[in-house]
Amino acid sequence: MRITRRGITAAVTALGLAAVVAGCGGDDSSEGSGAVVDQVITVNWGTEPPSLDPGLASDTTSADVISNIMDPLVKLDADLNPVPNLAESWETSDDGKTVTFHLRDDGEWTNGDPVTAEDFEWSWKRTISPDLAADYAYQFFGIVGAAEYNSCESNCDAMRDKVGVNAVDDRTLEVELTSPQPWFVQQAAHHSFIAVHRATVEQYGDRWTEPANIVTNGPFQLDRWQHNARLDLVKWDDWRNADEVSLERINGRMISEGTTAVQAFEAGELDMTAGLPPEELSRLKTTPEYAQYPGLGTYYYGFNVKSIPDVNQRRAMATAIDRRTIIDNIAQADQLPTTGFTPQGMPGFETLNPDSPWLPENGDIERAKELMSQVQNPVRNITLLLNDSPGHREIAVAVQSMWKELGLTVQIRQQEWAQFLEFVGPPPDASIDAFRFGWIGDYVDAMNFLDLWTCDSGNNSTNYCDPAYDELVSEARQTPDNDERYGIYAELEQKLLGEDGAVPFAPIYWYTYVQLEKESIKDTLEVNLLSQTDYTKVVETDGSGEA
Amino acid sequence: MTRLIVRRVLWTVPVILLVIFFTFVLMRQIEGNPFRTSERAIPESIQRNLEEKYGLDDPWWVQYARYVRNVATFDLGPSLVLRNRDVNDIVREHFPPSLELGALAMLFALVFGIPLGLYAALRANKLGDYTAMVVANVGFAVPSFLVATLLIYFFAVRWGDVFDFPTSGWTTWQSKVLPVIALGIGPMAYFARLTRGSVLETLQQDYVRTARAKGLRQRRIVAVHVLRNSLIPVVTAAGPILGFLITGSFVIEQIFAIPGIGRYYVTAVTARDYSVVMALTVLLAIIVIVANMVVDILYGILDPRTREARS
Repeated sequence: MRITRRGITAAVTALGLAAVVAGCGGDDSSEGSGAVVDQVITVNWGTEPPSLDPGLASDTTSADVISNIMDPLVKLDADLNPVPNLAESWETSDDGKTVTFHLRDDGEWTNGDPVTAEDFEWSWKRTISPDLAADYAYQFFGIVGAAEYNSCESNCDAMRDKVGVNAVDDRTLEVELTSPQPWFVQQAAHHSFIAVHRATVEQYGDRWTEPANIVTNGPFQLDRWQHNARLDLVKWDDWRNADEVSLERINGRMISEGTTAVQAFEAGELDMTAGLPPEELSRLKTTPEYAQYPGLGTYYYGFNVKSIPDVNQRRAMATAIDRRTIIDNIAQADQLPTTGFTPQGMPGFETLNPDSPWLPENGDIERAKELMSQVQNPVRNITLLLNDSPGHREIAVAVQSMWKELGLTVQIRQQEWAQFLEFVGPPPDASIDAFRFGWIGDYVDAMNFLDLWTCDSGNNSTNYCDPAYDELVSEARQTPDNDERYGIYAELEQKLLGEDGAVPFAPIYWYTYVQLEKESIKDTLEVNLLSQTDYTKVVETDGSGEA
Repeated sequence: MTRLIVRRVLWTVPVILLVIFFTFVLMRQIEGNPFRTSERAIPESIQRNLEEKYGLDDPWWVQYARYVRNVATFDLGPSLVLRNRDVNDIVREHFPPSLELGALAMLFALVFGIPLGLYAALRANKLGDYTAMVVANVGFAVPSFLVATLLIYFFAVRWGDVFDFPTSGWTTWQSKVLPVIALGIGPMAYFARLTRGSVLETLQQDYVRTARAKGLRQRRIVAVHVLRNSLIPVVTAAGPILGFLITGSFVIEQIFAIPGIGRYYVTAVTARDYSVVMALTVLLAIIVIVANMVVDILYGILDPRTREARS
């Protein structure tokens, strides 16, 4: 009797709670149903995109969304060559300093306005302007007058007019470059070169990217954006190539916790999720939904060459690292062991890769010890700086034990990201001997990796400075011929990691992107080297993509 | 009572000013650049443009005065990191889910915690007591992220067909059940332990013995004389806990992908989004102050002696 009453009490309280919760329940959403072959998928964007303004976005999530709702001038094919998109053709002048894009005549904004060359001129100058204060304004610094306009203090309007972007007519966009930049057309595929709709931006200011205001010109439209929760896209039926787009709808969630995202995927709530937690990788790799793509990025350990001045010690430390063990047992996403700095997949890789003797795949302790014995005043106590994101510490502990065999005592120092960036510099904090870092390419030319190591580069935290290196970099900038330029890149890689290289850093692996994809979309879903997915190519084959 | 409330409300002004001051000073003490979010360095000219745009190039007292004025006028300024949004938007959009989650978790904790503690006390040192206290201690000791992960694993994935709870989100009532339990289970256990201890103490009081001697029924003694007088410590603890719950739990919001303010708070600190950190700290302070004020008022209702003493 008593048990029953207690049972009832518990049940009543539970019901009461459920009723309270139900009373506060929000709307359920308009989602695809599972009965017919609906072209509806649900993806996990991972995080809230900080901005859907092509001029302001500087992260991969925003770029992924933007590149599907907007129409760039050019896109990159599987081999990263530029292919016509909104620009049907382009030509480069004989001196390589002027690039002219010819726009298609059927580009259209979602409000019916045509997409014109003036849209691009206005948008690019907006991004360059000091008023917008865009992070990625520097993407435009290869254009005549752009850097000057961006840093103008007075007379800005006049400087704006001097920027070398000019709409000759509605469909012709002429760009003047400060030097021949053979990668410029590739670079124009970057999301910061996408045009925005002037009237909308002027009318709504910062709010123009909200779903109620936004005007776009790409294959999908922004249907709903519930911040930090969902961002849904629908196909825009009036897009110029809408016939070739299968998906009707892309529902997007923002689950940033990797474990939850995997669980949501396994419960059938998601058709795609990236950012898999390292501790789950070995299990997930055996599932048919696991997909893996090469990335254009390098994970490396930098040395402060002022505190470790002897090149043989740096070579020894680089040689001692067992990359295969780190990849197989810690990173676990089949990353590629490095043989140079510029990652595999980059055009010209075969020519420029140094196949460095200081980066043996399995580490070479004997050789490293031998190198170490040639060091006159070895630095035995090493402070290694890391940021505190998951995974870095485990790798650092492995490296710590590898370096211990060289007689080095490594103290690992972990800091939270923003503080870490301040410590890394450049210049690096004097207490730092080595640090972990990574570089992910913005555009598809090895210049994007190799100009990091010039003396005044804002991304060179090693204190490595070789005027001859800088000279080669500027020579490469002036060399429009690809093969010739790749030859210079090879010399640069040699200076860094070749037989006589200075080894200012020790690359460990080249990144891969891993994600889970439902088998019904797996055949058509592709992630490119810059971590973007072109959803116009995706086809849902079993229609159960309900979520 | 009115005087008490007026006095407490007036006191919040200097407290908030102090909170703003300390947050401001502390934010400036930790290193970091709100505009450098990735490994890419920001070129000098661009950094300068950004600082100018957001007034970070002004002297510190100008910036401080601006913060105070912004708070006073409820215009909290733009986010430095989410480039198309104002802090006002963020608070308006993301505070309600946190408030709802916190309130429900609090309700869950009270509705289950107090009866559990009472039950244990009335069966002190018997099997029922031990069982209830094992439940309470486990609930208190197991961290909420583990509870959350286990709840998702069992109720959304493994037995998902039976229960129909989604793994994450904050839309339907089903989506709210697991996060409410995960967040509420710790406070529930805490309330259960507090209630048990306090009830045991009250049971020893003379007036309880008197009531028994007068022949009152056990149920009436417990409901009227014991429980009411045992709730003072629970109410004392409930104020800060409520404040803590409704200002958002970073962990629970993160795991369940709930668009609440707690998730923003922690990410804003990491990203050095000064204006967001400042605004949310002030909001949090106000909530804690209000929660504590409510506790004081409840004291008066529960225990006439405190009312007398204050007036």
